[in-house]
Amino acid sequence: MDLETLKKTVAEGLEEAGAAQTADAVEAVRITYLGRKGLMPQVMKELKTVAPEEKAEVGRLANTFKKELAELLESRREELSGDGKGAAESATFDYTLPGRGPRRGTRHPISAVIEEAVAIFGRMGFTVAEGPDVETPYHNFEALNTPGYHPSMDRQDTFWLDDGKLLRTQTSPVQIRVMESRTPPVRIVTPGRCYRRDTTDATHSANFHQIEGLYVDSQVSLADLKGTLAYFAHEMMGPDVAVRFRPHFFPFTEPSVECDFSCHVCSGSGCRVCKGSGWIEIAGAGMVDPRVFEKVGYDPETTTGYAFGMGIERIAMIRYGIPDIRLLYENDMRFLRQF
Amino acid sequence: MKLPLSWLREYVDVDASAEEIAEKLTFSGTEVEGIEHVGAGCESIIVGEVLAWEKHPKADRLRLCRVSDGSNELPVVCGADNFDAGDKVALAPVGATLPDGMTIKEAKLRGEVSQGMLCAEDELGLSADHAGIMILPADAAAGTPLLDVMGGVETVLELEVTWNRPDCLCVIGMAREVAALYGLDLKIPEPALEETGKPVEEWTRVEVQDAADCPRYTARVLTDAELKPSPMWMRRRLACCGVRPINNVVDITNYVMLECGHPLHAFDFAMLKESRIVVRRAAEGEQMATLDDEERRLTPEMLVIADAERPVAVAGIMGGAGSEISDATQTVLLESATFDPALTHRTSVALGLSTESSHRFERTVDRATVEWASRRAAALMGEHCGATLAAGVIDVCGEAAGQAPIVCRLGRLESLLGVSFSRDEVLAILARLQIPVAESNDETVSVLPPSFRPDLKIEADIFEEIARMHGLDEVPAAAPMGRVVVDADDARPRAVVACRDHLVGLGLSEIMNYSFLSEQLVDRFGKDADDRRVALLDPVSADHGIMRDSLIPQMAESLGHNAAHQELNAACFEIGSVFYRAGDGIQEEDHLSIGLMGQPQGWGDGAADTSPEGTFLRIKGLLEELVRVQNAPALELQPDTHPAFEPGWCAALFAGEEKVGILGLLVAPIRHQWRIQVPVAMAELKLDAILSQTHDVQGFKAIPVYPSVARDLALLVDESVRHGDIVQVIESDAPMELTGVDLFDIFRSEEIGEGRKSMAYSLTYRSAERTLTDEETNRLHVAIMDRLRQELKAEIRER
Ligand SMILES: [Zn+2]
Repeated sequence: MDLETLKKTVAEGLEEAGAAQTADAVEAVRITYLGRKGLMPQVMKELKTVAPEEKAEVGRLANTFKKELAELLESRREELSGDGKGAAESATFDYTLPGRGPRRGTRHPISAVIEEAVAIFGRMGFTVAEGPDVETPYHNFEALNTPGYHPSMDRQDTFWLDDGKLLRTQTSPVQIRVMESRTPPVRIVTPGRCYRRDTTDATHSANFHQIEGLYVDSQVSLADLKGTLAYFAHEMMGPDVAVRFRPHFFPFTEPSVECDFSCHVCSGSGCRVCKGSGWIEIAGAGMVDPRVFEKVGYDPETTTGYAFGMGIERIAMIRYGIPDIRLLYENDMRFLRQF
Repeated sequence: MKLPLSWLREYVDVDASAEEIAEKLTFSGTEVEGIEHVGAGCESIIVGEVLAWEKHPKADRLRLCRVSDGSNELPVVCGADNFDAGDKVALAPVGATLPDGMTIKEAKLRGEVSQGMLCAEDELGLSADHAGIMILPADAAAGTPLLDVMGGVETVLELEVTWNRPDCLCVIGMAREVAALYGLDLKIPEPALEETGKPVEEWTRVEVQDAADCPRYTARVLTDAELKPSPMWMRRRLACCGVRPINNVVDITNYVMLECGHPLHAFDFAMLKESRIVVRRAAEGEQMATLDDEERRLTPEMLVIADAERPVAVAGIMGGAGSEISDATQTVLLESATFDPALTHRTSVALGLSTESSHRFERTVDRATVEWASRRAAALMGEHCGATLAAGVIDVCGEAAGQAPIVCRLGRLESLLGVSFSRDEVLAILARLQIPVAESNDETVSVLPPSFRPDLKIEADIFEEIARMHGLDEVPAAAPMGRVVVDADDARPRAVVACRDHLVGLGLSEIMNYSFLSEQLVDRFGKDADDRRVALLDPVSADHGIMRDSLIPQMAESLGHNAAHQELNAACFEIGSVFYRAGDGIQEEDHLSIGLMGQPQGWGDGAADTSPEGTFLRIKGLLEELVRVQNAPALELQPDTHPAFEPGWCAALFAGEEKVGILGLLVAPIRHQWRIQVPVAMAELKLDAILSQTHDVQGFKAIPVYPSVARDLALLVDESVRHGDIVQVIESDAPMELTGVDLFDIFRSEEIGEGRKSMAYSLTYRSAERTLTDEETNRLHVAIMDRLRQELKAEIRER
């Protein structure tokens, strides 16, 4: 038998061993290949007639095959007899038994919302910037054009530390830090943790998360801001979600707007989630106040920009229908496993 | 702020419904948070006349009244005591329905029949007042519907006025907004005064010590005031705005404040020592009882209105009890002034005293309104208190100079809003807002900000006015443009996301805790390090008083919380900042904590082993795999101690020379506090130690060409010999061909003997150049066995 024929025979033998459905069939395969008058003894017998350049390889292959096939037949015989559940019994295997194996863990819903928001803004060229939780009053308030006697400066709203610093009440100081450290263009989002001296209840938490965005360049308009938030609304809440602007006041933007998303639950007709109005207040935003640019050393004549900010917990609660903010910080596995 | 619509309509003829006005206001920057209909539901309440009353025979607190409903006499049992025979009261007869839906039925109260109810204001939804039943004017006829006496149902808008718009904190200010939005005229009344008394200068003097604290102070004097309740319509309006009616003089000061936004104060002139006013800083240690009967300690940081001797009011915040208007008051000194906003705010915060007055002064009041407000109040006092007005007004400092013009560029307006405006459109909007224009051309409009708009300072402020009056819905949404800032570096935040993804992929669930926790919880994990602790100066509660310097206590608490809810198996991680004192500052550092409890689902057969050893090795293996997938530097374990961890089951994590974390088994005393019965493994490390570097890619290694050969090896060694020692000996002088060392069994038995164990390894050999022969492999293997015998006194059981 030449090398080519032997390779074919080996392939056939391995296949037949697997195809055998009964102990008798296994035995028949053994006799065909390994029996005293079987194919392999014959190959060995005829080895001397093989072409000299193939002789060594044929011998080696035949020996390996004999060993392999014997093992295979043995295991097949076990599968088909005794306790082994073989082909004949496979019909009785209970495929409804629970699956085994790896289980992924879960991301916290706050992380899930932050990561998704970052990804959406990332597609529009925003990169993430981070800053410290422990901030100076200057970065948290004054640089953001907040007057020294603004109500939010009150101790009752801010956690102060004994070195004159405070826990940031918003992620806006990151915007200031980035602008202080580089020249325009700036196109960042700043997800992060913030703190306010709120008494915890179903909708308030002394720890919470925000994501803010800042785009500073030479020709930025309120229309650009609206387009950016409209894209975010579609991507985060659904393709039919619309945005609208209402005038508002924030010290670091002028004009300032509040941005509502149309309700993704009722499509604007009014429901419990949107308290019947068809709209949900999501973001505060506006055109960066020229006085903020002056504080960070940008020329307010040549620089324009917009900024926006929104609460992560609020989006998570609306998106997943979570009724109470405290669930987000209880770390109950029965809650966390759902995400 | 509350805005009664009937009052608004006195100044602007707007026909629109409450809902329409609310919508307009909301979309022009003053959000309407609610619409109330005060008096709605009171349709079946009538005026009753109390004819007589006596004490209930069986209940001291109840009165048996005979009340006329205009045609019949009804027996009514009442729990209030603020009325007498002859009073007109709000009567809900049998069959009447209260605003809360309750229907009045004939009842027996402690044996006495009652055929109706005498109502308090809060029961009728008219105010929060529950001090007693509502007393109506004496001229109200019994049987008249209550709403007729009150002037009908009042519609009240609840407004959220933003910080920058103090001018909107009054009815006239809102009327100005509404007039601008609807293009209507604003009608402000011109108070007519009859100054029949002797000149005011003969009554009093005013001294302002620092004009920076008090830019303007006016005083008028009114004599022969007749103190009584103010007219029904005024009381209704005050109540609708949430201000409690007191007497006609005080009510008029409040009414004018609500009307024009300018807080006023009335002093009992007789109580002013030397009949004069000094506006000055308080002296250190000076004290004063305010109208709320609190004794206030004052400091030189606070501005007071004083007489010749002592403070009689905290300027702009609250009057003093000593000069309060009372029933005995005859002569009134009427103050209308402005005070420095920041000073007022600081004082209000320092005293913990916030009032309608301080709320307005700290947001800036219009200096130009001072005089109008004084005249308006004086005229009303003449009308409703029968007072005689001294001639003239004392006016210290007077009017302010006008502001400089603001130049607005129309081109910049268009580029900023993304909407184009003609000059005429801009001029029309400014005219409606009563913002005067000094001059204009095709490129610019010069604006003169009026005194009532302190928020208009720069060009952008005027742009905002134009945008909000034009309507922000008209601003188009431009297609977002994908501007890439090429030198922005956010590799680290992206690495954190990747790390979180790997942790989740490894079967861990993410938890999230507050950045602060209770001192009590921190103490459980060791008091030694309390000089590291950062405490909040003013925490909301003791549960959240200390900034966390470790994620371990909250991880333990979270696992405990779950154990308490029959969630006995959990695998969790948290990524968060920790805070500690270092040097003279506060350090902030991102940490990762991991906690394993019980047999988390899907952790394979190995998770069934909840022995201490199994639990420890599981968290160790998890960290090893994390390091591998994160392509981070290997972490070395070195024995360590930590108050959270069992002695002997704690190891420090080193990345090279740097200690980056710790892991171990939670000490039983802490575990038992949460009734956790199985070992709990926890680790905490600096997040940066396991973050991948973006450009730090593991290079490719060629796939082996030649087959490998495995040789097993079983060693009998002393218990003191550790796996790490054996691997170290095997690898210390290992041939290049040794490519793998795998422990596959540890075995102890009586046969082996006490204090000894059998460790079985599979060693893998492979050459990069050729197939190894048995002889070559054996030679390498024997050499390793010899070293093990020599260095570890190992007895080799070859297989
Ligand atoms: Zn809805």
